[in-house]
Amino acid sequence: MQDRLLPYWLLVPAFIIVLATTIYPLAYSFITSFRAWDLTKSRRPEGFVGIDNYIYAASESQFLNSLWVTFIFVITSVALTVVLAMALALLLRRKGPMHTFTRIILILPFAMSPALIGVSYRFMFNPEFGVLANGLGAVFPALQGVPWLADPQLAMGILVLTDVWHWTPYMTFMCLGGLASIPRETEEAARIDGASNLRIVFGIILPQMRGVILVMAVLKTIFALKMFDQVVTLTGGGPGTSTETLAYFIFNVGFRWFDMGYASALAWILTAIMMFISIWYVRMLLSERKMATA
Amino acid sequence: MAEVRLVDIEKKYGNFLAVPKQSLTIHDGEFLVLLGPSGCGKTTTMRMIAGLEDITSGDIMIKGERINDKPPKDRDIAMVFQNYGLYPHMTVRQNIEYPLKLRGMDKASRKDRVMETAEKVELDALLERRPSELSGGQRQRVALARAIVRTPSIFLMDEPLSNLDAKLRVTMRAELKHLHHELGVTTVYVTHDQMEAMTLASRVAVMREGRIVQLDTPKKIYAEPADLFVAGFIGSPSMNLIDGAVKGGVFRTDGVEVPVDLGDRDGVVLGIRPEELEITQDTDAAIGGKLYALELTGESTLVTLRNGPTSVCARGHADFEADIDSPCHLVPKDGARFHLFDRASGERLR
Ligand SMILES: Nc1ncnc2c1ncn2[C@@H]1O[C@H](COP(=O)(O)OP(=O)(O)O)[C@@H](O)[C@H]1O
Ligand SMILES: [Mg+2]
Repeated sequence: MQDRLLPYWLLVPAFIIVLATTIYPLAYSFITSFRAWDLTKSRRPEGFVGIDNYIYAASESQFLNSLWVTFIFVITSVALTVVLAMALALLLRRKGPMHTFTRIILILPFAMSPALIGVSYRFMFNPEFGVLANGLGAVFPALQGVPWLADPQLAMGILVLTDVWHWTPYMTFMCLGGLASIPRETEEAARIDGASNLRIVFGIILPQMRGVILVMAVLKTIFALKMFDQVVTLTGGGPGTSTETLAYFIFNVGFRWFDMGYASALAWILTAIMMFISIWYVRMLLSERKMATA
Repeated sequence: MAEVRLVDIEKKYGNFLAVPKQSLTIHDGEFLVLLGPSGCGKTTTMRMIAGLEDITSGDIMIKGERINDKPPKDRDIAMVFQNYGLYPHMTVRQNIEYPLKLRGMDKASRKDRVMETAEKVELDALLERRPSELSGGQRQRVALARAIVRTPSIFLMDEPLSNLDAKLRVTMRAELKHLHHELGVTTVYVTHDQMEAMTLASRVAVMREGRIVQLDTPKKIYAEPADLFVAGFIGSPSMNLIDGAVKGGVFRTDGVEVPVDLGDRDGVVLGIRPEELEITQDTDAAIGGKLYALELTGESTLVTLRNGPTSVCARGHADFEADIDSPCHLVPKDGARFHLFDRASGERLR
């Protein structure tokens, strides 16, 4: 009897740690999202307000703006990263003399902290002394004196750029792994059958990469949804609120305006979006498996 | 239809010499088999013809034209890969249809042609399946169908039957032979199975460590193997190769005494095929020893006898029976051939 219970007793410490570090904060924030809690007025959560926080979000323009900003950011950064990574992997997959070197170079951007990336791009696009701002101005005179980060569209573009720059190398590695698992003969057979290079890429290689591309797109989407670091260090959400992503907005609500109830509700909305995408992804992946094995 | 000429071709992978410098001419309409053990460079040779592998030096000519720098698609070839190389995201029908589609054939003719080909390799019931839903043998037939759906100038087949079960292999062998007869397309066929080579080939090129050691008709290769390697490789059960010495016109070793037409010499290997020996009651027979094993194959019994280091196998009557370890004697049949090789170099002496 004791012997049978022993394993469960041994699990208790681990369970307590998980409870304390994960489940408790999650549950606490979930409950908080149904309460009013202005940190400037009270150190403890105030009364329950039902789903008022959520209802408020649905009509609040700043939240809707951040949702839209996040949407634009996710779409562009995911699409660019995946396409670029795939293209790079196709160029890099052959073993050339630069094989090892390119791979070392590739890993560098991913090893950098996103916050630091934001800072360095901010300097590089400084209209007065920024390397990139001046360099671009020198090459294309039309771009001289462009206030890069002061323009809503350009600021968003640069934000996307930093993210693509950060993530593309890692995704390239994923693509290289996927490409290596495609049987060489399928490509060679197509070559003999008379397919052009372009046709081989789109008709033979990419269809076999479907699973890998799906994994990449979903991973990248989830990370992009949480975009925060570069917003803080590069644009500060500006100009105006043009680069205010959902994660950044939640941070502002919670830690600038100290509206913890509303911030919790917003955080759970973000979580719900990510869960929805994850579930959709798992279903896609399962049907992919079925297609491949059934 | 086309003649293929490999002129002084050589292939190195880095420092590793996979195929040393050599030439080979494949005649128009011929069924040439590259035969050799695994890793001897058969696939490499074929891939060079296909244009999938650069040649380190030398020239490849098809129909008299040097095609070293032509991409695979312009060589008018079709290839069956050792591990199929099917398109996993396409159905069987789409796989077979793909070469036609790429060459711009219209939809209606494509459909007819696919059906016709599928029937030929008995795939017509599986057209809507994907390769992952097929057995190894079925996949191989799809690969074959994809190659024969078009009529190219040259077929390249890399062990196309190696994954089939024994029965299907024999059927498909006949099918391939008939197909070659019907289409008359120059075919280069790679195999490590000497039986396949013998039955299919117009000519066989036996390869060893990248080098073609003998190139001849199956009959000639069987009757007159160029060296010890070929002698041991061709024929099933393989030729008896007996170490001994020749003195006074007689080849001698434990239990064997055979008159041969060769001067005195040590380190000689006598080769004689099991099917050219028969069992005798004559105790003075050329070969004698103790019965070591009896193996019934159905149409005959393989009789192995031993005497010291000497081991000799003969193909006897299916009804032959005797006790293991009992004395046993063999004589060469009338017209049997003795093959004599040099032990050290492996070269044929007579
Ligand atoms: N891409 C390659 N790189 C290096 N060595 C190779 C490569 N392909 C084949 N080889 C070597 O060349 C030799 C011949 O290979 P292959 O032509 O595939 O043999 P076979 O088809 O007769 O079994 C082998 O020793 C093999 O290891
Ligand atoms: Mg091979």
